[in-house]
Amino acid sequence: MLVIEVERLTKRYGKTVAVDDLTFRVTPGRVTGFLGPNGAGKTTTLKAILGLVRPTSGTTRVLGKHYRDLDEPTRKVGAVLETSRYHPGRSGRNHLRVVAAAAGIPRGRVEEVLELVAMSREAKRRVGGYSLGMRQRLGLAAALLGDPELLILDEPANGLDPAGIRWLRDLLRSLSARGRTILVSSHVLAEVEQIADEVVIVHRGRFVTQSSTAELASRASARVRVRSPQADRLRELLTGAGMKVVEMNGGALAVSEGTPERVGELAAANGIVLHELAAEKATLEEAFLELTGGETTA
Amino acid sequence: MRLLYAEALKVRTAPRTLIGLALGLVALAVLGAGSTASSGPTDMPQGDANVTWDVLSVATTGVIFALILGILVVTWEYRHGTITQTFLATPRRERVLGAKFVVALVSGFGLAVLCVVVVLVTATFWISLDLRQEHWELIGRIVLASALWGLLGAGLGALLQSQVGAIVVVFVWFVVAEPLIAAQFDHFADYLPGNTLNRLTQHGTVGGIEHDGQDYSFGLWAAAFIAGAYALGLAALGTASALWRDVN
Repeated sequence: MLVIEVERLTKRYGKTVAVDDLTFRVTPGRVTGFLGPNGAGKTTTLKAILGLVRPTSGTTRVLGKHYRDLDEPTRKVGAVLETSRYHPGRSGRNHLRVVAAAAGIPRGRVEEVLELVAMSREAKRRVGGYSLGMRQRLGLAAALLGDPELLILDEPANGLDPAGIRWLRDLLRSLSARGRTILVSSHVLAEVEQIADEVVIVHRGRFVTQSSTAELASRASARVRVRSPQADRLRELLTGAGMKVVEMNGGALAVSEGTPERVGELAAANGIVLHELAAEKATLEEAFLELTGGETTA
Repeated sequence: MRLLYAEALKVRTAPRTLIGLALGLVALAVLGAGSTASSGPTDMPQGDANVTWDVLSVATTGVIFALILGILVVTWEYRHGTITQTFLATPRRERVLGAKFVVALVSGFGLAVLCVVVVLVTATFWISLDLRQEHWELIGRIVLASALWGLLGAGLGALLQSQVGAIVVVFVWFVVAEPLIAAQFDHFADYLPGNTLNRLTQHGTVGGIEHDGQDYSFGLWAAAFIAGAYALGLAALGTASALWRDVN
């Protein structure tokens, strides 16, 4: 069974189209990265999946049903939306107790999830005094209360320091290893490429691509970096041989549609001195930028 | 049931707001009852009994706290953004709001009981209380009115979703708009929400003269019924609005 189905989802706010005819699916037991630049409609899509936003047209289903029709949703789906918000006067523990009470989850579970997100010591403090990172951890704790099979996380790394990001990655990995399905949105590919099995890319509310992370990486075309005191001459030769050449910062040339071997041989045959010759693998980040037209705030 | 528990827990775990409201209520009740009772028995034939009426009328000011708490029970979730988490846990929004309305109703009831007790206890420092059946009836009506004010506040809060907006609307309506409308359309005045609710908390004497309510278009029970209809109507509108609107 599909865990999440988004079918021709469109959401308009007045004249602004936040999500435009978006269709994608999330399969069970996998970590799916939901990627796009800021303003691509990721949060709106997640809110539509979670029944918080009413679609203008199209449908969304979670575990085969509309979110609203799920029995015991807290035990099936855990969600952390961007900048989770709390009553500032309530302690972290009491926030979780309220969520647990509404979901009929025993109070003992609150201590377990506090332990899980390493927040036991801060739990009795008022949320008003928490840092952004602590709020994110508390949001995750709330999402994990019901030990759900599906986690939906909207930019969970926002506000976390590098150690926190690493901790988050480890947590998501261990959840994934225990068979949980995770949909995690981000505008920074690097945040999810290490843990995502699959990525869905959206741009300006529209579907761009869905593929496995490995496939996306292989799509990122390789290129050759070459530096020479006779750059102009080399450039002519490479272009003449059908390669594409772009000048990079510092005078080096980026050569696509060629291999280091061909570039080296061509230079040797023409007596051109090389100071540097290297094969460069374009990163996923570059593939992502290419697909979304280079627009990102990362 | 567990939703009711969760909603009650929300109120209990926001102690500053609750303590602030309760302290305000107690302070107002003590000052009001003290100053009324200490002005001493009047020369009227019924002496302390008349002062008891006046002391009890101080208790009616407590309904404003029920109204504000009713507004807060719903709007603080929107204000602090916790409504997202609430609707995620219970996507059937009408159930969440139903629980909130019950909590507002019960809180209004509780605040009124607190207010009446404080007012009466304060008054005993100056006068000997002479509580008769009519007094108990009035106390019952104050408690009922307070519960309805709480529900009205929660319904309005659900409709507007904005804390400041709801409080502004309440003051503009009850302090400015309703008196103006009442003055313009005399025959209509008894049916206005503020007037029906206020009638519940008025005692049987006005200016020391027994008042049997015959100047009104309808009796006390009808007034209670109409006030209840206003509160329930707002609650229904608020629920419809919450079901329809996106959570952002």
